Amino acid sequence: MSNLTYHLRAEDVNVWFGERHVLKDVNLAFPSNQVTALIGPSGCGKSTFIRTLNRMHELIPSAGFGGKVLLDEEDIYGDGVDPVKVRLKVGMVFQKPNPFPTMSIQENVLSGLKLSGRKNSNTEELVETSLRRASIWNEVKDRLNDPALSLSGGQQQRLCIARSLAMGPEVLLMDEPCSALDPGSTRRVEETILELAPEMTIVIVTHNMQQAQRVADQTAFFLSEDGNPGHVVEFGATEQVFEQPIDPRTNDYVNGHFG
Amino acid sequence: MNADSTKVERRKLASKPFAKSDRIFFGVARVAAYSSFVIIALILIYLVGRSLPALQKQGLINFTFGSTWNSAATPETFQLGPMLWGSILISIIGVVIAVPLAISIAYFIEFMAPKAIAKAVTTIVDLLAAIPSIVLGLWGAFVFSPIAAGWAKMLNHSLGWIPIFSNPEQNFLRSPFIAGIVVAVMIVPIIASITREIFSQMDRDIINASLALGGNRESTFRKVILPTASGGVIGGVLLGLGRALGETVAVLYVLNISFNINWTDILQARGGSVASMIISKFGEANPSEVSALMAAGLVLFVFTLIINSIASYIVAKAQPWRK
Amino acid sequence: MEKVIDLTPVARPKTAQPWSKKSPKFLISAAAASIIPAAITLAFVGLAGMDFMAALIIVFLPIQVIAAALVGISIYGRRGILESLLVVATIFFSSFVFVLLGSVLWSVISNGAAAISPSFIFQNNYYIQPTTDLGYGGVGHAIVGSLLIVGLSTIITVPLGLATAVYLTETQGKSKGIIRTLLQAMAGLPSVVSGLFIYAMFIASGITTYAGWTGSLALIPLMLPTVARVTEESLRLVPAELRNGALALGAPAWRAFAQVTLPAAKSGIMTAVLLGVARVIGETAPLVLTTFAADRTNLNVFSGQMGSLPTYLFGYIAFGFDASIKRAWGAALVILIIVAILFISARLASRTRTKARK
Repeated sequence: MSNLTYHLRAEDVNVWFGERHVLKDVNLAFPSNQVTALIGPSGCGKSTFIRTLNRMHELIPSAGFGGKVLLDEEDIYGDGVDPVKVRLKVGMVFQKPNPFPTMSIQENVLSGLKLSGRKNSNTEELVETSLRRASIWNEVKDRLNDPALSLSGGQQQRLCIARSLAMGPEVLLMDEPCSALDPGSTRRVEETILELAPEMTIVIVTHNMQQAQRVADQTAFFLSEDGNPGHVVEFGATEQVFEQPIDPRTNDYVNGHFG
Repeated sequence: MNADSTKVERRKLASKPFAKSDRIFFGVARVAAYSSFVIIALILIYLVGRSLPALQKQGLINFTFGSTWNSAATPETFQLGPMLWGSILISIIGVVIAVPLAISIAYFIEFMAPKAIAKAVTTIVDLLAAIPSIVLGLWGAFVFSPIAAGWAKMLNHSLGWIPIFSNPEQNFLRSPFIAGIVVAVMIVPIIASITREIFSQMDRDIINASLALGGNRESTFRKVILPTASGGVIGGVLLGLGRALGETVAVLYVLNISFNINWTDILQARGGSVASMIISKFGEANPSEVSALMAAGLVLFVFTLIINSIASYIVAKAQPWRK
Repeated sequence: MEKVIDLTPVARPKTAQPWSKKSPKFLISAAAASIIPAAITLAFVGLAGMDFMAALIIVFLPIQVIAAALVGISIYGRRGILESLLVVATIFFSSFVFVLLGSVLWSVISNGAAAISPSFIFQNNYYIQPTTDLGYGGVGHAIVGSLLIVGLSTIITVPLGLATAVYLTETQGKSKGIIRTLLQAMAGLPSVVSGLFIYAMFIASGITTYAGWTGSLALIPLMLPTVARVTEESLRLVPAELRNGALALGAPAWRAFAQVTLPAAKSGIMTAVLLGVARVIGETAPLVLTTFAADRTNLNVFSGQMGSLPTYLFGYIAFGFDASIKRAWGAALVILIIVAILFISARLASRTRTKARK
């Protein structure tokens, strides 16, 4: 563990919605260029937590936050930090594929640049690179100008991945990216994740324990009991968390006793 | 499995009302609904009927595009041109002013304001919509015109070299410009409420996607929200345009109606409006002039009918959930 | 990883929104950008005597835009310009409608209040000349006339609108889309065209001369779309389970409607009626062409010319004398008060609906 560097670290993260305390004292270090999965039963705060990592959490009116999130050892919640700039480095793929409906496939890939005001002199190359990295180039290379909505669900999700990749983020957050997809598309997306892993830090929220075992190097198990705030019960190498869990609650969850 | 290759026939499931009381119930409903059709048809029939004398005497093309209206001449000449163009000009000015206003207000209510303030602004816009046009005409004539004339004067003094802002007589009251602003005040609520509804029905996911990619408020609005909402917003704008064309009394009191056609000199004190002309000339009109006014009403009706039909089609397409 | 975490919830601290902490630099520049344009504008209004609305547009807006753009640049760089422009535009225009509405209401109330008096409300226009002093005569006949004319319209339009809404919600008719389009077309009907239509149908053809009921007819196409649309929406809001429950018990469709759907949608229908009345009570053009005007109270809506508030206003503006204009403002105030009462009643009616659901 000591040879690993950490692009992204969460220190003593606490989250409130209004007066309700929903996440308590989350301390997680995401090793660079590896995949970390966040698992746990629904409603325990995994999606809420992942949104604190790219400052999307504060878009909710009653949101409250405490603690630090360190990106390259700088607190993204520090004074004077522009959330927009944070999101340029930390990309996000959502649960339901959400390509921009009025744009073509190519325009969707480049949309991040237009929206953030970034210039690029070689857009063609960027489009091809991003679509290749998202494992969808061969399927769309002849119809880059077709509307994005003409793609299937799985293809749309890979387009959204390409869209995020085009911005060259250091970290990619994925909030249950396969839960709206069929098994075939799920497999393609998981293959994409494995291919991307060596180049960037990936944090993936998933309901699917088999998926966590397939793609993740580390796994964190979140739990919220009896109306208490959610917290991290266990965090370690995926193999260890699933086969030799330390905490009995982890043992119960990964063996399907609840959740 | 079945050796017998009978095709399975699909049965019609819709059940017709069986009991007599229900047949009466649905029958009454159907008659009432068809009354809408009857009303529109009657309007067309009677208007066409009463306009035919004038249209035959003047000729349809001459009537619509000619530029003289004189009941004292021999032969009597009734031509709509300056009024038709005047209505269009004022409506265009109204729409140009109302659209940025209405979209900004819709954006503010839907995406910016805290709930309480959003509700307050929505109420204010609804109240504005409820004010009858004659009251707005009164306000326009006595309270607003002097102010707007002042703006027109400043516009003329600073930008008067641009042809549309020229005004040699330096008389700024009762111009298409002022009428256009008053009309804008009337149509802002329509455009704003349709736009707001479209904004509220928009998939929040794509807005989140835009923000996650590093978009700020303004680029998200310009590149994601507006393009996605554009269909319905255009429909709303057309509905506003249709309403603007039909404005009668509000325009009557703030415009100097003149048959000396005013093409683009929006700051000058003469203009046209079909609806206002009808109501101002109706009282003293002799029968053949009445026929001409009917024809004018017919032209106005057909115009607004076409625009409103296109508009509702566009809005319906942008809001498939409305069915 | 073996730290034992205390799981009890902790109260939300005051510092739970680190993103709303603004640097002193931001606070100072934002304050300056808010205060300075306002101060300059007030100076123009107070000292140079410029009109308020004019000052808002000509002085305040440009200066505020520039100030906000400067703040935007200092915080966000070049991208801050458009961002601040959007914020300023939306806030300004949304506030400007307040100013517009305020101006209209203020002018009607302040000018009209001078004319309102018991005699204004109750007396009619007989023997009154355009220049007669305001102490004599009033809009009594016009109020009665408006109520009678709009009342007759309502009696016809409400059943028509309700039945149309029933057709659109209860039946399986194939013409639903067409009917909706027709209602939309009617909603866009210029009011003067409706007046011409009734004039052509009844007056020009000699069936009658100016009378109250022709005005009522002319108002129907203007009122029907509103009543039908709002009624349809209220009927749709009644949960399908209620209606289906009645049908499953064996009730014929009309009973299910009359005894289940209708009572449940009662307040919504009330709202529809009130909004429909509010929509037409100020309509001028149709009445000018069909009922003309009168100076005395005419209680017979089926015969003879009738005064109404809008035509009274219309007539008195035309005279142009000071006293006449004052009367016009008075009539305008009466119209606005009636519209306000209708609107507040409509709001209350829809609130009863939400309360009843709790």
